[in-house]
Amino acid sequence: MLQVKNIQCGYKDIVAVHDLSFEAAGGEVFALIGANGAGKTTTIMALAGHIVPMRGSIIVEGHDISSGRAQGRLAHGIALVPEGRRVFPDLSVENNLTVGGHTVGREALRSNRENAYQIFPRLAERRTQLAGSLSGGEQQMLAIARAMMASPRILLVDELSLGLMPKMVDECYQVVDTLKQQGLLIILVEQSTQRALEVADQVAVLESGYLAWHGSGESARSDSSVVSAYLGN
Amino acid sequence: MLALDLLLQGIVQGAIYALIALGLTLIYGLLRILHVAHAALFTLGGYIGVIVTNQTGSLAFALVVSMVLVGVLGILIYRVAYKPLLGKSPLVALIASIGLFIAFEEGFRIVFGSYGLSFEDPPLRTQVDLGGGLLISHSRLLIVGMAVVILSILAWLSTRTRTGIAWKATVTDPQIASSFGINIERVRYLNFFIGSALAAAAGVMVVLLTNLVEPTMGAVASYKALAIIVLGGLGSVRGTLVAALAIGIVESFGTVYIGHILDRDALAFAFLVVALMVRPQGLFKAD
Repeated sequence: MLQVKNIQCGYKDIVAVHDLSFEAAGGEVFALIGANGAGKTTTIMALAGHIVPMRGSIIVEGHDISSGRAQGRLAHGIALVPEGRRVFPDLSVENNLTVGGHTVGREALRSNRENAYQIFPRLAERRTQLAGSLSGGEQQMLAIARAMMASPRILLVDELSLGLMPKMVDECYQVVDTLKQQGLLIILVEQSTQRALEVADQVAVLESGYLAWHGSGESARSDSSVVSAYLGN
Repeated sequence: MLALDLLLQGIVQGAIYALIALGLTLIYGLLRILHVAHAALFTLGGYIGVIVTNQTGSLAFALVVSMVLVGVLGILIYRVAYKPLLGKSPLVALIASIGLFIAFEEGFRIVFGSYGLSFEDPPLRTQVDLGGGLLISHSRLLIVGMAVVILSILAWLSTRTRTGIAWKATVTDPQIASSFGINIERVRYLNFFIGSALAAAAGVMVVLLTNLVEPTMGAVASYKALAIIVLGGLGSVRGTLVAALAIGIVESFGTVYIGHILDRDALAFAFLVVALMVRPQGLFKAD
């Protein structure tokens, strides 16, 4: 479903990610882990079209989308749950979802919104509240629900658990698991390595912008020294 | 009665400030550019309003013409002056904007003369009694009414229509909005059109009050609108509206009670300094 071939990306003169390649399929969780500044977010932003790779290619279902911009990503089935949630604080919960479904028709918008409320009943209760007034966990749910509005096939999730209470983290991971069962590919960037490892089908460890280790979730879980060697925990 | 009268004056002035500053906030929110030349569009709006009213005798028609023409000019300014500078430091755009503002002022002087223009037959000069001897001119009523109508339409658009919701989202966080397939460029054009049209409406209203439009009319408006958007928390629409009303009311009371020590135009800045000392993030935190 997704092929990343030798991408190099960064900002202006600074290269943050060197020569990264991987492949992932639907129904998988691909965990991208690494210390602060290892290049995880840069990678996600390149996949989301906010950064154009300097070299290499990103191929989704046979289409090379490397030079495409963020605006066109949903058309290729790619949706983003950004770092820090970044819900639209002065829009209501409902209108945040409306933005998420900007590219879909009126009917689909309505039914997708009802779906989202079914998955996240808490959002249904707060549908008229401003998103800025929600708790961190509720905002994360909204960010996920918003990304799901256009029925993507690939979900990019940057720092799912950062700053959330453990109970909320559990709920969010449960949703990730459900989406995976539904056949989505989830690219998950996490600093909280333990949680990411538990759900991951593939694990890639980034270190200073280089791919330091790449293997199945199974092997990462069974041989914890592999991962701790790179992350020091 | 004096207090009520002053409050009314303050609301009228605040309504005008709100219309000017709103466009500035929208543009700042989306592009992080301090669009100083915005005030020149406000002046131009006044000129077109006077000229078209004098030619056709219809203030309503003049208002529409002024808003549409100035709105289109706003789009042109974005396309020609700002768009090529977007990747550069915001200072570059600021300098371009100040340059544009000066060029416009001088342009007005050359085209319309340096003495200013007035309505041949000033519209809506009659007064109404609001009860209890509280008099207000029809023009002032119209100004407040128009501001309420325009702002209500904008509020309706931005909470009830998909385009409006997308627009609001884009103003708050353009990068994330683009991730949901929103065409940022189109929103920018829309923003300049609406913002500039609002400034033109404010220009027409000011001329209704003063019956004079002159080349430098935008000078005070330009820095006062900047003060208002800073006070409102840079980029916050609600904050801007509250700050505009607050400054209008402070000015109207201040002119009477402390006008002998502090000039009316200095009041806004004194208020800004005090307000920012108490709330450094602005009346409303920018999101």
